[in-house]
Amino acid sequence: MSGFHRFSIVMRMVFMCILIIPVFAGLIGVLMPAFGFFPALGENQISLQPFSQLLANDNVLSMSWLSLSTGLIATLLALMGALLLVAVFYQRAWLNRIQHLLSPLLVVPHAAAAIAFLFILSPSGWLARLFSGSDMNNPLPPDWAFPYDPYGLSIILALTLKELPFVFLMLLSTLSQPQLEIKVKGYLKVAQSLGYSQITAFMTIVVPMIYSHIRMPLLAVLAFATANVEVPLILGPNDPPTLAVAVLRWFNHVDLSMRFQASAAAVLQLLVTLTALACWWLAEQVIRKLSRHALLSGKRTWGDDVLTLLAVAVVFVYSVIALLLLASVYTWSVATYWPFPQLLPDGFTLMHWQTALRSLAVPLANSIILAFSVTVFAVVLVLLALEGELQMTKHMSAAMGRLDRSIMHITLYLPLLVPGVAFLFGLVWFQQMYFSHLTWVHLFVSHLIYVLPYVFISLAVAYRRMDPRYVKVAYGLGKTPITVFFAVKLPMLFGPIAVAFALGLAISFSQYLPTLLSAGGNIATVTTEAVAAASGSSRRLSAVYVVVQIIMPLCGFILAWWLPNVFFKPSLKANPKNQGIKVYESNP
Amino acid sequence: MSLTLDALAIYKNNHLMLQVSTHIAAGMVTSVMGPSGVGKSTLLDAISGQLSRPFSMTGQVMVNGHAVQDMPAYQRQIGMLYQDPLLFEHLTVSDNIRFAIPKMQQKRLGREQVESFIAEQLNTVGLADIRHRAVQTLSGGQQARVALLRTLAANPQAVLLDEPFSKLDSTLRQQTREWVFAQLQERSLPALMVTHDIEDANSANGEIIEVSL
Repeated sequence: MSGFHRFSIVMRMVFMCILIIPVFAGLIGVLMPAFGFFPALGENQISLQPFSQLLANDNVLSMSWLSLSTGLIATLLALMGALLLVAVFYQRAWLNRIQHLLSPLLVVPHAAAAIAFLFILSPSGWLARLFSGSDMNNPLPPDWAFPYDPYGLSIILALTLKELPFVFLMLLSTLSQPQLEIKVKGYLKVAQSLGYSQITAFMTIVVPMIYSHIRMPLLAVLAFATANVEVPLILGPNDPPTLAVAVLRWFNHVDLSMRFQASAAAVLQLLVTLTALACWWLAEQVIRKLSRHALLSGKRTWGDDVLTLLAVAVVFVYSVIALLLLASVYTWSVATYWPFPQLLPDGFTLMHWQTALRSLAVPLANSIILAFSVTVFAVVLVLLALEGELQMTKHMSAAMGRLDRSIMHITLYLPLLVPGVAFLFGLVWFQQMYFSHLTWVHLFVSHLIYVLPYVFISLAVAYRRMDPRYVKVAYGLGKTPITVFFAVKLPMLFGPIAVAFALGLAISFSQYLPTLLSAGGNIATVTTEAVAAASGSSRRLSAVYVVVQIIMPLCGFILAWWLPNVFFKPSLKANPKNQGIKVYESNP
Repeated sequence: MSLTLDALAIYKNNHLMLQVSTHIAAGMVTSVMGPSGVGKSTLLDAISGQLSRPFSMTGQVMVNGHAVQDMPAYQRQIGMLYQDPLLFEHLTVSDNIRFAIPKMQQKRLGREQVESFIAEQLNTVGLADIRHRAVQTLSGGQQARVALLRTLAANPQAVLLDEPFSKLDSTLRQQTREWVFAQLQERSLPALMVTHDIEDANSANGEIIEVSL
């Protein structure tokens, strides 16, 4: 084995360590204060005091329930919506159009989407202006529950809107895996020749077949939805909030002793997320048992018309909401005086843009520097790790290879399954204790934890799918492993690398909690500023922030589609079919 | 130049798949024939140093009388040619060939000489005017020719051919075949070809090794 190959194997270990160590260190850092052990505050005794303090709080149950219910419902809705769209539109021209509609929504940060929702749902938003029945004589905004409704409906709405495109694109990318695609298309033909309608055939045959491929990412979505901070922070009820928001509040409480309660609550959050995952697993088992009969009943159509209508309705509602969100944010960002219930402001101005861009200069620079450095590091490390995997598994037995794969699989999803609020606080505690002056390093690491898995998952498929004979040819030409890696593999993967790079940037841009915690509020990014502005001062300024938040990741993806055609494709026209966002591929 | 396989045995999960002993002299093409799944392509992987799990091998591979089986693939100087031309799509036609020319040789010749060498090579196969084109725009026959030129430009000591003509239609197939064998002979290269097609083997005019399950 050459030195380069050995190096790549070491880099694969490093890759796994970066994902595993911070999560476990963070969990320990939360568990200790949760059980009353926190020497910095003079507590050296293990006790259950923090938990009893937490449980004495009347709202603990309702907060936990809010987190659990909003997460489960949003994930379920997103899955059902995505399945519906794929089942109805698979192998139809519309599928491409829907993909184009949903792809940009995928890269909009959760915080930005939530703030945009806030704008239309709030009593001064467009919905109220349109439907409240107020007029000039009665210029009072309606007294409705949104957006801070106690049941978390606004949270569910925003989460569903954000997760549906993710699940949808995940399904599409699973369906586009070559061997699977051939099988699926063949099965559909056979089923249709047996008299099953296309939609029924998809639901009964294809869905059970591909579900296992999207399961892990789906669980990651669920874990995220139950523990997310920024969406309920912006759209959720205040008293009681979701558990994750409460954790954040207690951690940031001026009274440092609240940290014990916060740590206990973070542990509870972990349990809530685990409960959600368990519920999901249980539901899977029940559905598997119950659906057996229905799948084999011989029924040829299952309300195709209704499903088609529903799917069209989903697309329609989606387009309307997306347009409304964009238009609303954009209008607010240029609005002058805008009295209720006028549909449009009195006039338009670029003043807010000027003000906001001036105050955004530093956060914007921070965001970009951070995202670029994290992503460059992530892409390089992931490429080396993938090369290491190739070299390592070459000489493994089949059983060892499977074991290695599952370990990698779990490692990749570890930071996505363990709630950020449960381990990031603990991590911060370690960071402050031992390396308190290295703020940028902490920020770098906390972003890296989230960027690495996505970059890996997005690159892995292309890397593993590359025809090994190209490499054999190059070795036959006398090229060393390092030359083959740089001069053959990387240029051939330029397209996927560019997309992974854009994805890495987008993930880093969108991070709220890691940024807030690791930097201790000392380093502002566009996302932290936008969330801060949403709850305060000026609606117009936060509108500008949201527009900037949407534009930043989009720029990355536009470059990612355009650059591969400029480099490495001598005098060849681009093939538009290969250019969708293949962000997510299951089974890494 | 010569390629010798001395009791080269291929194992899958430690079960013997096939065993070959042969000596291929300079300019000769030996054919290996047999049904799919018998391990023909794996045999080529073993010779070129690309074997991976669940396969393993014993025996000797000798290039010009020197045992190479313990060397890494890239030091064996054994060129590969597959049924697909596998030209690098990020490089132009002439850059594909330049990629194959060893660094030492490029240094010795200098930039312009390398350029004219490539042009000359392409000229011999009537492709001189397309050397700055993207490889994907070439026809199948053109790509096959560029692929062989690329293999030869690396100065291999032996060449392995894996069903090299099976993707070409019959007229083109015969032409390409004759041309490839002529090139190999002209350079006195020993070659081992895996094929399904008895006509490939017959026109190679060398030893035919039959392997079976």
